[in-house]
Amino acid sequence: MNINSNGYVLGFAVGVCVVISAALAVTANALKPAQDAAAEFDRQKNVMIACGLIQEGDPRPRKELEELFRKRVVEKVIDIRTGEVDQAKTPADLAAMRSPADRARYRAVAVAKDEQGKEDTFILPISGRGLWSTLYGYLALEHDANRVRGITFYKHGETPGLGGEVDNPNWKAQWRGKSILDEKNQLVSVTVKKGKVDPAIAREKEHMVDGLSGATITCNGVNKFVRSDLEAFRPYLSRYWTKKD
Amino acid sequence: MTATTTPPLAPATPKAPLFGKAEKKVVLDPLWDNNPIAFQVLGICSALAVTTRLDKALVMGIGVTLVTALSNVMISAIRNFIPSKIRIIVQLVVVSGVVIVFDQFLRAYMYDLSKQLSVFVGLIITNCIVMGRLEAYAMSNPPWRSFLDGIGNGLGYMWILAVVGTIREIFGSGTLLGFTVIPKAVYDAGYVNNGLMVLAPGAFLLLGIIVWAQRSISGYSEKH
Repeated sequence: MNINSNGYVLGFAVGVCVVISAALAVTANALKPAQDAAAEFDRQKNVMIACGLIQEGDPRPRKELEELFRKRVVEKVIDIRTGEVDQAKTPADLAAMRSPADRARYRAVAVAKDEQGKEDTFILPISGRGLWSTLYGYLALEHDANRVRGITFYKHGETPGLGGEVDNPNWKAQWRGKSILDEKNQLVSVTVKKGKVDPAIAREKEHMVDGLSGATITCNGVNKFVRSDLEAFRPYLSRYWTKKD
Repeated sequence: MTATTTPPLAPATPKAPLFGKAEKKVVLDPLWDNNPIAFQVLGICSALAVTTRLDKALVMGIGVTLVTALSNVMISAIRNFIPSKIRIIVQLVVVSGVVIVFDQFLRAYMYDLSKQLSVFVGLIITNCIVMGRLEAYAMSNPPWRSFLDGIGNGLGYMWILAVVGTIREIFGSGTLLGFTVIPKAVYDAGYVNNGLMVLAPGAFLLLGIIVWAQRSISGYSEKH
């Protein structure tokens, strides 16, 4: 048989492709459950990192961390038009929603409880465009739903060293203690300033963090989606604002 | 498996031992004398990118070793049936398949590391070492030896990555495999982590020094 004839070459190429794709399909399907579980665990870890329950790179085994998440964090589905918790739905239903109207209407929020089981921190999912990619993360608010507890991004594709500095622990630490409401209880969000925050100016000290140099578009993106996501959660959060202590 | 169409090019005796002298040479050669990084200067890009921490370097090394070994075996097994017109693309298809499987396993069982290695696992496909071994060895040698050749070259790549990774992690972050190795007292005395080590140029310098050291010990010099 002439292995350089056109017919053989064609047949061989098709054969190789079919065999390899079959093998890949089998592996991908077999590993899907384990991959989904790993991604879900990663998300849970990020929720806990945002609210300060654990530190990044916590050495505890996976079982213990999952147990901690089950004990201390409750996930709820919010109808953002009313701010009411929809008891009938779980975050898993949210992921399965197909219609854009439903997707826009419901959002998940995680609530972390303290040792006594009292609601302590609200962890809001935030996401939006940066420069190259969509950033996904969490913004955690103290129990007054005003002061920021922490922020974290668990998925993005920004330039390492520039926009990628949203992962810089020192920068993230600046968010802590900022407030999203001004003294008149108006939602002003927390914004990334261009340049350094001047602590002498009250407005900047309360509501702004330092800019990331070389990452203007990423920072603008962060400003925009943090604000719009907070707006979306306003009906839910505002119930906690009124009973301000 | 030694097909009837063409005799194997390597001097394989009919009753060759499974792991004789020739086989030993196939594994050990790429570790030192014929090292893919230090001697052939292949696979440099990934060596720069994934060596900021030792665990990343090790997983990458294991990945390249497995991929080189397995695709060597597969290509070697079908080497007499591959039409030479499309041999490179057939090699690429096989390599991509093996790399994707490895990536899928990482995602399932080592999620954090797979996130950090991100695109570099996929880029094993274009690692010159893998393609180089397929073209230079597996296309003309029987499967078992090709397998050993893949293991040898993978390990030769891995130990250099591990050395670079160890140095970069200790001096760049003060840790090793994530554990703190530089005591706090040293930091209190004014020591700071070397920022150059976490950046690509740090790896470039280190790699240069390693290649230089390896070559002056093994006595190799480029012929003009």
